[in-house]
Amino acid sequence: MGSAHIAVIHGPNLNMLGKREIGIYGGKTLDQINEEIRLEARVHDVDVDFFQSNVEGFIVDYIHGCAGRIQGIVINAGAYTHYSIALRDAIAAVRIPTIEVHISNIYKREPFRHVSFIAPVCKGQICGFGSYSYILGVRALLDVLAEEWLA
Amino acid sequence: MKKFLVISGPNLNLLGTRKISIYKEGTLEEIHAKLRQKAIELGVEVDCRQFNSEGDIIDCMQQVPGTYAGVILNAGALAHYSYALRSAIGTMLVPCVEVFISNVHAREEFRHTSVLADVCVGVIAGFGGNSYVLALEALVNLVNP
Repeated sequence: MGSAHIAVIHGPNLNMLGKREIGIYGGKTLDQINEEIRLEARVHDVDVDFFQSNVEGFIVDYIHGCAGRIQGIVINAGAYTHYSIALRDAIAAVRIPTIEVHISNIYKREPFRHVSFIAPVCKGQICGFGSYSYILGVRALLDVLAEEWLA
Repeated sequence: MKKFLVISGPNLNLLGTRKISIYKEGTLEEIHAKLRQKAIELGVEVDCRQFNSEGDIIDCMQQVPGTYAGVILNAGALAHYSYALRSAIGTMLVPCVEVFISNVHAREEFRHTSVLADVCVGVIAGFGGNSYVLALEALVNLVNP
């Protein structure tokens, strides 16, 4: 697992974490969350790249750029989760094992958030555990990668 | 030592023997063994149960208050329609995490809706037996931050 290189992608408005709707998303900033993820990756001896964009097309570009370079992705696509067919196609196109995460329990929220367009092309979904959803996402991803490498 | 309850619903006793392409994990007993191992690492206890009958799950959930610090629930097909389980989650008074072995969102449309998800703390789906292990980590993190 020492050679694994993974990417954590944050979608729109997640740069505002810790600054908006703290009741839903918690008080940690994105930098603080990324630092927690970095520490978790270090425990597993894995390299991690971070990317955040508010622009759907930039996220698509970034996912394409992961091909051949990144072994696995953890993505919180934010609101794009619920309607971006372009993100779904990008994930399907690069065929990199991808884990969908959400800070909040999307099923406790508005009905339009109960549907994920990216879930069918992801390995699985983790939601509701605050910033710890990302930590669980990294662990889930490494387990998926270990299984694929054994197969 | 904090104790957590793990409940698996109908047909999960057959894990490892049916539809192996979807439920690629080994047997439920193997998943329970992994959970017990993780519990030792985390310094907690787990009790693992499986029921095919909805009413038996409700009876089990009603024993939770005062005994368990949290519950991991894989309700199987009941997740998609059991309002009785949904009500029972409310009576447990401790956090419940919903888990699925398969990625339910990649399967038939009737599996995309869970009537339990919004009364649970969160949902973990798609990671085989590891969904349970991740849920235990999530619960321990929640009650011992």
